[in-house]
Amino acid sequence: MPRKRSRRLSSALILMAGALVVAACGEKYPNSTFTHLTDFNTIIDGLWNRLLLLGTIVFVFVETLLIFTIIKFRRREGAPDPKQTHGNTTLEITWTIIPALILVLIAVPTVDAIWKTEAKASDSSIQVQVIGHQWWWEFRYPQYGFTTANELYLPAGRTVNFQLNSRDVIHSFWTPQLGGKRDVIANRTNYIWYTPDSSLAGSVFNGFCTEYCGSSHANMRFHVYAVSPADFDSWAAHQKENAAMSPIVAPAPAAPATPAAAVKVASAATKPAAPAATKPAAPVAAMPASEGYVFPLAKMPPHTLPQTPFPVGDREVKFDESLLAGGDAARGHELVSNMAHMGDVPCLTCHIIKGEYMVAGKQMFTDDNAKAPNLTHFATRHTFAGGIYPATPAMLARWVKNAEHMKPGSLMTTLGNGEYAPSMKSKRTTGLDDRQIADIVAYLLSLK
Amino acid sequence: MATTAATPSYEQTGIWSWITTVDHKRIGALYLYTALFFFMFGGLEAGVIRWQLAQPNQHIVSAELYNQLFTMHGTTMIFLAVMPLSAAFFNFLIPLQIGARDVAFPRLNAFSYWVYVLGGTFMTLPIFFNTAPNGGWFGYAPLTTLPFSSGLNIDFWVMGLQILGISSLAAAFNFITTIINMRAPGMTLMRMPVFTWMSFVVQFLLVLAFPVITIALVFLLFDRFFGTNFYEIAAGADPLLWQHLFWVFGHPEVYILILPAFGLVSEILPTFSRKPLFGYNVVVYSGIMIGFLGFGVWAHHMFAVGMGATADTIFALTTMLIGIPTGVKIFNWIATMWGGQIRFTAAMKFAIGLIALFTIGGISGVMHSSPPADLQQTDTYFVVAHFHYVLFGGSIMGIFGGIYFYYPKITGRYMSEVLGTWHFWCTFIAMNLTFFPMHFSGMLGMPRRIYTYDAGQGWDTFNLISSIGTGLLILSTLIFVVNFLKSRKSGEVAPGDAWGAGTLEWTIPSPPPDYNFAEIPFVTSRYPLWDLKHPERTSGIAHSAPDVMTITDAHATPVHEEMGHKTAAELGIPMPFNTVKPLIAAAALVAMFGGLLFMHTNQFAVAMTITIGSASLFVGTLYAWLTSPLE
Amino acid sequence: MASAVAEVHEHTHYTTTGLDNRKVAIWAFIGSECMLFMSLISTYLIYKGKSIVGPFPHEAWTDPSGHVFKPILNIPVTSQSTFVLLMSSLVMVLALAAVENRGKPGYQGTLLGNSKLWLAATAALGATFLGYQAYEFTSFVHEGLTIHTNLFGSSFFTLTGFHGAHVTAGVLWLLTLLSIDIKRGLTPKDALLVDICALYWHFVDVVWIAIFTLVYLIK
Repeated sequence: MPRKRSRRLSSALILMAGALVVAACGEKYPNSTFTHLTDFNTIIDGLWNRLLLLGTIVFVFVETLLIFTIIKFRRREGAPDPKQTHGNTTLEITWTIIPALILVLIAVPTVDAIWKTEAKASDSSIQVQVIGHQWWWEFRYPQYGFTTANELYLPAGRTVNFQLNSRDVIHSFWTPQLGGKRDVIANRTNYIWYTPDSSLAGSVFNGFCTEYCGSSHANMRFHVYAVSPADFDSWAAHQKENAAMSPIVAPAPAAPATPAAAVKVASAATKPAAPAATKPAAPVAAMPASEGYVFPLAKMPPHTLPQTPFPVGDREVKFDESLLAGGDAARGHELVSNMAHMGDVPCLTCHIIKGEYMVAGKQMFTDDNAKAPNLTHFATRHTFAGGIYPATPAMLARWVKNAEHMKPGSLMTTLGNGEYAPSMKSKRTTGLDDRQIADIVAYLLSLK
Repeated sequence: MATTAATPSYEQTGIWSWITTVDHKRIGALYLYTALFFFMFGGLEAGVIRWQLAQPNQHIVSAELYNQLFTMHGTTMIFLAVMPLSAAFFNFLIPLQIGARDVAFPRLNAFSYWVYVLGGTFMTLPIFFNTAPNGGWFGYAPLTTLPFSSGLNIDFWVMGLQILGISSLAAAFNFITTIINMRAPGMTLMRMPVFTWMSFVVQFLLVLAFPVITIALVFLLFDRFFGTNFYEIAAGADPLLWQHLFWVFGHPEVYILILPAFGLVSEILPTFSRKPLFGYNVVVYSGIMIGFLGFGVWAHHMFAVGMGATADTIFALTTMLIGIPTGVKIFNWIATMWGGQIRFTAAMKFAIGLIALFTIGGISGVMHSSPPADLQQTDTYFVVAHFHYVLFGGSIMGIFGGIYFYYPKITGRYMSEVLGTWHFWCTFIAMNLTFFPMHFSGMLGMPRRIYTYDAGQGWDTFNLISSIGTGLLILSTLIFVVNFLKSRKSGEVAPGDAWGAGTLEWTIPSPPPDYNFAEIPFVTSRYPLWDLKHPERTSGIAHSAPDVMTITDAHATPVHEEMGHKTAAELGIPMPFNTVKPLIAAAALVAMFGGLLFMHTNQFAVAMTITIGSASLFVGTLYAWLTSPLE
Repeated sequence: MASAVAEVHEHTHYTTTGLDNRKVAIWAFIGSECMLFMSLISTYLIYKGKSIVGPFPHEAWTDPSGHVFKPILNIPVTSQSTFVLLMSSLVMVLALAAVENRGKPGYQGTLLGNSKLWLAATAALGATFLGYQAYEFTSFVHEGLTIHTNLFGSSFFTLTGFHGAHVTAGVLWLLTLLSIDIKRGLTPKDALLVDICALYWHFVDVVWIAIFTLVYLIK
């Protein structure tokens, strides 16, 4: 009796498998690892094809043998006891040797690929330092001398050598379309390199953190723009410059004389400083000379545009969006850059905006003690917060207001007045109002 | 013979008799019920996980709760479900299979169980207060150190695993001694049933692997509570220390989870094929090989950490090597069925299901063994697919098979074959529906352990199918639960030799009497009961009787089917006294660890009072235990 | 009461190997303990030379303020305690022999047959070793090395502390045997009780030899 039913069930299984194939075929796979877009992925895909072929052969063989056996040797009523066997040395040796031979077929290209992909990168490669933070990516271009975050530009056709470190827990750096992953570990420097094909100029790829790193592990993404070498140079040249509106670099007499004094200012400025107005915003520098290449937003396919919805429920962040149109970048600049506001607007105690918070002609904080993404050319990026939000005014405003609600576990504190701050387990009674936030957003979006 | 209704299995009844029991069969049953409970709890956790991931950007649970759920799903399934389910079989079966009246240390056995159930509760309860462990079942430092996980979550995990480790180690010493020392005359090592053999290998893995994680956890505990620097990045610690220690334990752990299922299958297949196991020696040696090689492959979990080409090469090759003994087992199982008279009972279906599904997990395992290819696979859903084919398709299928097979021996009644067939096909289909699409979502770029994802990444359909499969999997487990509970009352009554099997446990009544064997049998071959009933099946294997001295020494008699239902007292067999001391000792041990938690709530005095008080209670109980007679 | 110490089966109780269950179990336990100490020792060796700040085991270290820390390990003192522990193993052998051969010629009423003395001596030597360790730990703390100081401090104190805990458990075990001996006298029938304690004690001793060599002697 169970036989009939099981047949019906197995045909249902086949139907479902068919439905699965059909459903899956209608979809696009923008993060597929089966690409030949880099030398690295070409090697891996070659290995994969062999693994898949041999694996399929073994699978088909074993499962066929199994099904054949259970059908052929199923019990028949009244049949005598089967012929008894206890073992067979020849057979045992055969099914030891054949798998071993199959494994040799895998081992040889594997070892070859290990040594090829883990060789030293060529000296002419472009160097990128990747630094993992909870939960965003810092990218430094030491050959060009600038730092950016969450969005990576690579010149197509040139080998890029990533040097990987972490400032906190273990992360893992992965762009599925371009190559394998490599863990990003504190107290340890890892490398991974690949060469994006020169035909890739003008494409964008998703990147992910693939080592569980805490609350917002899922929110630690990044984007890779492959661009033409000329566009890359234009972009890099611009990224090196100081931020828009930043004071002209000169000895700044008004600023505290030593970094130590500046830190004192920082720690003293916990309450809103009344004499803020006494130090007017420094003269605004002209916009940087070059406009610099930016990957056009219009060329980003939908799967690269973040879709993280606004938080809901008790994490909802309300913001009066009508204020955004009236946001004033200059006022925002004053709020962010005047050390007197540090208590309520502590942006630059963690972020760097090159040219701001200068002490004796030097940046008060450096890349090595900055705890948050470098914002110097923030407005050239299309995403923020670990690549999970598009850099639109509505998103940015809510982020500034209550980052902790916008991204679980976010180490950026809640700044909006009256907002609940999960890390402090209480509602803020001071902080920014919506109008000030609109100004800050306007300023951030002026950081071209 | 089947006319005798299943009698109450034990001479004593009542809750107190269960709390104080030292009978290996009752402890086995307790393990079984408790572990099935945790299995369902872990399954529900998986259900919430899949609900959250069914569609992109959902808000079923928060990121924080999701991370607790996937951590606890892994921890529960490994330490609180599959390992104890195996332990249920170790307890129930090993003494019966080797012809012993109990395990070597019955009270230690009760202690292991109570430590497990209290430790499991200790780790599971916090999920209801949103403070469950949230560092992953692998608990990678430095994420689990105080600077990055300041809550009590990780404390529950560290303490919980430490407690469970004590349970596993105590049980392992017990079973090693039992298997080495309590075998009936003539039960030579190479005549032991394969389940006992695989269990024997597992006990060695436990004994050698658990101390390593104990130390890794001690370091973490010291870091969190006493300010040491083992995983402190600022002090120059190497974050890979944890990973090496963890995986030196963690890989053998995989074999700890799978080998008992292999053993169960090796009992089921011959019985329902009416043929002895094909290549017994090879199956046993390959089990030993797997256990041995299992200690030399740990770093294949770490191909992405940048160990360097030499280490990657070595671990790739050792990993590939371990595929050979595993493959050999599969071929021997198929050869066992070849030429047989296969009876498709529910147990047999699950055993065949294991072969079919484990093969898939084995093949994807070989795919990870190639480090460059693994760099695209590790930490993606491809790996999730792989180890669920190994642990669900392997361990769980084998254990379900074992439950259907041994249920009549445990309870004296058969489980319903109709419901069993439904259960099998639902599980088989749902399992593939859940886990097969994960191969695709992984290779198409979906990372593991993410609580949310954007639409249009190429993962939507696969995730939806996986989630539907999980729903079906929960339903099919419900069929099992109904069957399990219903059959207890109304199942068909089973005789001692419920299935026509060949090993010693089937020579005694179902359920077995307290003393197991009224007379200790002496064994002359691998299938003593077949010698008796189907001598033609065992004519091809070696027979020899143990020497007369040994037989006299053990007061052994030839193998025979025991039918009687006399009490131990009537037969003059001394039975161990019931005692509550193991439970008290276990409770004291758990309280001793639990007390430390108060240190993180800044109640140092409370912490020390509880910890030192419980420690004293533990030592006192231990003395009382050791100075009171066993029987 | 059937017997003062439980799980004592009659000697006629059949076992496969002829050994007592407890003897088999203690070997399994020792196997497990080997992995425990291997993990501890490996960690110590992996972290050797990785500490960012001193004090260090074999080298002097000058801190930023100019204070000079001597190399921390005091090999002559530890050699003494090692010798003490080695001697305790010897005495343990005598204790076991005394219990096993109780009543035999050469043991009856002689010094050699005085199991109480040898058990007490083993425990005393073990306690002396612990005294040395207490002295060593305190002086290290005074010299500026605690379990918090650096990787060396953490791994050193944890490793030797674990060993010390094992010695402490051993001393308590020996004292328990001694109290049984005083209360009712240990007879050859109880030799197994002393035997498994001796196995444990020798194991703890051997582990110390490994620690002394790898941690103290090898620079």
